[in-house]
Amino acid sequence: MNNLDVRGMACPLPVVQVKRALEAAQGAELRVLLDDGAPRENVKRFAQGRGYRVQEEQLEGGFAFTITGPGTPTAREAAPAAAVAAGPTVMLIGSDRMGDGPEDLGRLLMKNFIMTLLDLSELPDRIFFVNTGVLLAVEGSEVVETLNELGNRGVEVLSCGICLDFFKKKESLAAGGVTNMFTIAETMLNARSVLRP
Amino acid sequence: MIKDGDFVAIFNSIHRVMEAERLLKDKQLKILLIPAPRALAADCGLAIRYAEDVRGEVEGTLAAAGLLPRDLYRKNGDSFEKIGEEQ
Repeated sequence: MNNLDVRGMACPLPVVQVKRALEAAQGAELRVLLDDGAPRENVKRFAQGRGYRVQEEQLEGGFAFTITGPGTPTAREAAPAAAVAAGPTVMLIGSDRMGDGPEDLGRLLMKNFIMTLLDLSELPDRIFFVNTGVLLAVEGSEVVETLNELGNRGVEVLSCGICLDFFKKKESLAAGGVTNMFTIAETMLNARSVLRP
Repeated sequence: MIKDGDFVAIFNSIHRVMEAERLLKDKQLKILLIPAPRALAADCGLAIRYAEDVRGEVEGTLAAAGLLPRDLYRKNGDSFEKIGEEQ
């Protein structure tokens, strides 16, 4: 059995860590120590949504989940191995607008695109925000709630640190975490697909 | 994204929904432009969501500007109750 301790981590990190651990466990049982409240609810919903069985045990100052699979494969995971290369599906959002044309329409389309992801069964593994794309993940953005919910569903939401610094928004990041170009480049090179909306 | 009791206003063109959003935000009303739920037919695929506490102000503002929605729904459990009629 594999063990994981996500106590003290803020959402959506517990879900992200559990997702990684389940992928690495390849069907083996996983025991997770986690805090009550949002981490407990989100991890449970995520695991059960993927077809895993979750047994809860209350501990002093938290909970222990024993997660057993195998999970229900998504359509992508169920596809013949030869049909898909290994690696994550990455979405690179390089602007706060979608497409060329009027700015207000572009912003509306990007916002609409991100919110629509919540209605889809297949989600990217990681979303990177670069350039003006990072403005979607900071305070005042109307998709912060959506990005946090995507995080709770196991999507890693990461913004480019240089870009946040450039726009003086480092202190107002409101969804996901900060990353660097090394991680962005390496992840893209190892991705099974990179999507640019 | 849509809580029980929230209102979802569907407009009949992208221009009307964008104008409605601009107008309501200028008044600092707590609304959100969202993808129209699949269950509700919307030509432009967009809708405006708002809660009961701002309903009067939102609908009053839209009416004054001649921008009333084509249809209005209220989220009720897993479904949407139609409470608006075509303008």
